[in-house]
Amino acid sequence: MTLTKVLSNALDSGINQIGQLRILRGPLRLHHIDDVNLDSLEVHTDPDDAREISLYTSDGKYRFTKGELSLKTGWIFILDSVEDLRRAIDLFYPASLGLWNASQNNEIRVQNLRDKLNRQTGMYRHARNVSDEGIQKLVKCLCGPSNKCVKKILWEIDETTPLEDSEASRFDGIVGDIEMTTAIPMVCQEACNFFVAQSRKKAKKEFEAREQ
Amino acid sequence: MEFSPKPKAALLIVGHGSTENPDSSTPYFDHAKEIRRRKVFGEVHCCFWKEEPSMREAFYMIDAEEVYVVPDFISEGYFTQEVIPRELSLTGPTTEVHGKTIHYCDPVGIHPSMTSLILQRTDEVAPGVPQEESTLFIVGHGTGLNKNSTKAVKDQVDHIKTLPNCRFADVIDTYMEEPPFIADWGKLAKTPNAIVVPFFIADGLHSYQDIPMMLGFEKEEGLAASQKEVFRRNPYHLQDKTLYYSAAIGMEPMMADVILDQISTFDAQNDAH
Repeated sequence: MTLTKVLSNALDSGINQIGQLRILRGPLRLHHIDDVNLDSLEVHTDPDDAREISLYTSDGKYRFTKGELSLKTGWIFILDSVEDLRRAIDLFYPASLGLWNASQNNEIRVQNLRDKLNRQTGMYRHARNVSDEGIQKLVKCLCGPSNKCVKKILWEIDETTPLEDSEASRFDGIVGDIEMTTAIPMVCQEACNFFVAQSRKKAKKEFEAREQ
Repeated sequence: MEFSPKPKAALLIVGHGSTENPDSSTPYFDHAKEIRRRKVFGEVHCCFWKEEPSMREAFYMIDAEEVYVVPDFISEGYFTQEVIPRELSLTGPTTEVHGKTIHYCDPVGIHPSMTSLILQRTDEVAPGVPQEESTLFIVGHGTGLNKNSTKAVKDQVDHIKTLPNCRFADVIDTYMEEPPFIADWGKLAKTPNAIVVPFFIADGLHSYQDIPMMLGFEKEEGLAASQKEVFRRNPYHLQDKTLYYSAAIGMEPMMADVILDQISTFDAQNDAH
């Protein structure tokens, strides 16, 4: 089944939200969940405009981590087809539909953090030196909705080291207090590059602390 | 080069991306949009090393069972030879990965059709300027760490020189970080005109700022990079010469053709179809 068909079936089942996006039907529309007065929004019909909208926060900061809870408001897409809706969603939240579908079907290949860090090269190769304790702290201060991330973490530190219980590790990938059956959860199958960059900084601090 | 449409296959364009500069991934999305517009692939997607979706995530976006992976990189090297194969579990030109057939093409920058793109760009940036009185500089990054990073530039220069309709007084490969340095363009050019084409996929700090400073028409860090209009103020009059400066070659919309040419070349060499 194509992802477009999977999305179409999801809409038929009553799903109307993913991340900070609200999906409406009849006609097919997509807007920010915080926007209420739809008549006042800037109208877009080209799904490719989603990339431009998702690039910056409302105060002009580059959103290179797409799962960040900082999507700006003020726009609405009126779309011709579920195919176009799929493309817009994939630009707002890259691969989110495919990752959700794979996780539903138990076909997701989760990348544990140690595997990800051990693959880093160049200046980021030092990220692998971060301690397990350091990683646990980073998860609590970088991941989850309190730290502006909308994704449900699927990875662990390694096969035998799970993440400690916290708001971040418990988060289900659905924004707001809504019925779980009405939203597509955002899943995190591998740590983002922001987490890798912060792991490198943490490893450096740990090294310096040991040297003192 | 004629391209036979592949409505049942997907195209995955791989770029580097940046955690700091959103302009860096714009050309990849532009190339994808242009190829999507032509309806020659069932699906067209982008993925990145430093942005989302990652190469591993992108796999989940694809419906098709046959996928052409094209590195939208300027040269062969560490990323095309190690990182991309590792991230996508590729072991050769064609690999079966998680139920899909993946064809791994060469990077766009080494395709011979990049040459015509460079020449078209020189005509656009310096219209009506006689080639006989001009030196064409192609600028690469250059690094002592990887010989491949200069090979793509040298190959283009050699190719342009051998073209029967090439009338440039000289065509010179230059680099930011190894000789011959682009900073020495005034000494290297023996002609009244110089045309400079950065051999990069995306416009970024190198083309907005670093190379203009080496050429001598930007003095110091000033405006935010994306606000500069260094490509729109041609020509520059420096060192008793007239200088024409181009945007990065990858910003050219016809890069979509080079991507498709690279796929046709892959098919021809590997009998994929």
